[in-house]
Amino acid sequence: MSGSSGGVGGGAGGSPNNTEWRFNQTLRNVQGFPGKVLLTRRSEPLSPPDYSPSFENEPDEDEHKDGSQEGEGQAPGNSFDNASAKKSNLLSTSSSNSLPDAQGLVFGARATDSARIDKFTKELSRPAVILDKLRELSWSGVPPYMRPNVWRLLLGYAPPNKDRREGVLTRKRLEYVECVSQYYDIPDSERSDEEITMLRQIAVDCPRTVPDVTFFQNPQIQKSLERVLYTWAIRHPASGYVQGINDLVTPFLVVFLSEHLEGNMDTWSIDNLSAQDISNIEADCYWCLSKFLDGMQDHYTFAQPGIQRLVFRLKELVRRIDEPVSKHIEEQGLEFLQFAFRWFNCLLIREIPFHLVTRLWDTYLAEGDYLPDFLVYISASFLLTWSDKLQKLEFQEMVMFLQHLPTRTWAHHELEMVLSRAYMWHTMFKSSPSHLAS
Amino acid sequence: MAAGYRAEDDYDYLFKVVLIGDSGVGKSNLLSRFTRNEFSLESKSTIGVEFATRSLQVDGKVVKAQIWDTAGQERYRAITSAYYRGAVGALLVYDVTRHSTFENVERWLKELRDHTDPNIVVMLVGNKSDLRHLVAVQTDEGKAFAERESLYFMETSALESTNVENAFAEVLTQIYRIVSKRAVEAGEDSASGPGKGEKINIKDDVSAVKKGGCCS
Repeated sequence: MSGSSGGVGGGAGGSPNNTEWRFNQTLRNVQGFPGKVLLTRRSEPLSPPDYSPSFENEPDEDEHKDGSQEGEGQAPGNSFDNASAKKSNLLSTSSSNSLPDAQGLVFGARATDSARIDKFTKELSRPAVILDKLRELSWSGVPPYMRPNVWRLLLGYAPPNKDRREGVLTRKRLEYVECVSQYYDIPDSERSDEEITMLRQIAVDCPRTVPDVTFFQNPQIQKSLERVLYTWAIRHPASGYVQGINDLVTPFLVVFLSEHLEGNMDTWSIDNLSAQDISNIEADCYWCLSKFLDGMQDHYTFAQPGIQRLVFRLKELVRRIDEPVSKHIEEQGLEFLQFAFRWFNCLLIREIPFHLVTRLWDTYLAEGDYLPDFLVYISASFLLTWSDKLQKLEFQEMVMFLQHLPTRTWAHHELEMVLSRAYMWHTMFKSSPSHLAS
Repeated sequence: MAAGYRAEDDYDYLFKVVLIGDSGVGKSNLLSRFTRNEFSLESKSTIGVEFATRSLQVDGKVVKAQIWDTAGQERYRAITSAYYRGAVGALLVYDVTRHSTFENVERWLKELRDHTDPNIVVMLVGNKSDLRHLVAVQTDEGKAFAERESLYFMETSALESTNVENAFAEVLTQIYRIVSKRAVEAGEDSASGPGKGEKINIKDDVSAVKKGGCCS
């Protein structure tokens, strides 16, 4: 079985629906598996294949798509797009121009969406949120307008108890302001050489953070980012600031800003925010970053042992899932560290379009303490998206391909595929740790 | 120097070169300028290492440079120093507008010498020479340091594309000279040199010469 799982086979190589084929193939392989109950880790039944319930009604999403989806018939056919299909359903009941096999999925997705929103509403309105339930729901995507609250809860920043929530947040936000005045708002003469070096490093990196998204070029946003990063670094001396952590703040920034700014991110203006708003947003980013990285401390300490461990485990997992790729990589002398280091260091932010990052983060935060473990599966799934392609490349082409993956045109569909497959492999291997081990 | 963008596999020599220096001095842009003739004011920081190649003509031979661009932050050195292994050339870059990046050159040099063969060809590169009104490290200062440490030296601007080609070409040419000279000293026909497409590792090369008087 070692060769056939993971959709290694070449039958559909290069066909437009290759990823979908691969997914189905994986499902088939997995289902032929004796004694395995699939997709049961979450108690909520996941409708197979579960790549539909992402919330495409995200405002910036629709904006993005408006430009490119005016002619419905122009879908290139290589990637069926949930959002466009949905639109066509909304606009007209005659659905002749949407892709045929998209239909069921789309109707299913819509039904699931409203049902899921109800579930979220129900969970969030409890006097004390049951975090496990919220995790289950959030794993498959959080409705964008609920994200700020859900994320604060999932990270343990906001307390589950509703009565205490406002008070705790107010106190934490105040605490952040005090930290900033104690550590950041001081003259360089009161800093150690190390601290000055760190502040300089952060100042060099802030303008280079998500440079392809205009909003992040705003000097005020960059100043906020700098304060958050420096304060975090000072209070986490074992690691201090490590390049790439700047990327990790950006999903938090975008989500907490979305509570105050409407519409597409490209049209956001920070001038519409009060100083108090900005301070609160920064504080939320700071605390959420802190909570988020607490489970990954040794990813950023000297020599980054946590990341090296994940890279090693990724290599092992890929060997078990897709032997031909694994063998090819080895024969070419390619080291996993040469491409996967950045994946883990920046949690794949650098590898996918920015508008997909918050959706990816939903799953990350839902995983909580298990995230580092699950990241290995996500990365394997991500890498093996190009299983066929990789086997045709030589060392140099392969390094360059892996460092500049063709994900620029990715929509939710492709990301959901990566996550579903990761989930499936995780279920499969976790319950059978020696399966496929040679 | 004739610089052609030639077919991938068509080369006589393969040299590994590393780009090192403080964060934000422009290493990635030097690389993209040299390998793709591209420059971006909005490039992201390098995490770990990045990689690109380009071939050049040196003395009628096609020399392919396999260039590893490394992250500048100190924290990454434990990871990046692994990539120094086997390098036969290095561009040690500082930013002429930030004196601190020049002050750190000495540490980078030590880092390099700790992890590579002593015969590695090193060029000190003062980048961002286009920012004339902001210069904080004078040309003479860079030049003096380079002379003291026996390094090649050049000031470049990846933005204006000044000297980028020259800097890489000079390093590759010097590596080529060392390698072909060794072949001559070892009694080889210099034209044959190392096998076609063979990766040159100075260290192995040296030991081969010492041991058997032949490096074929």
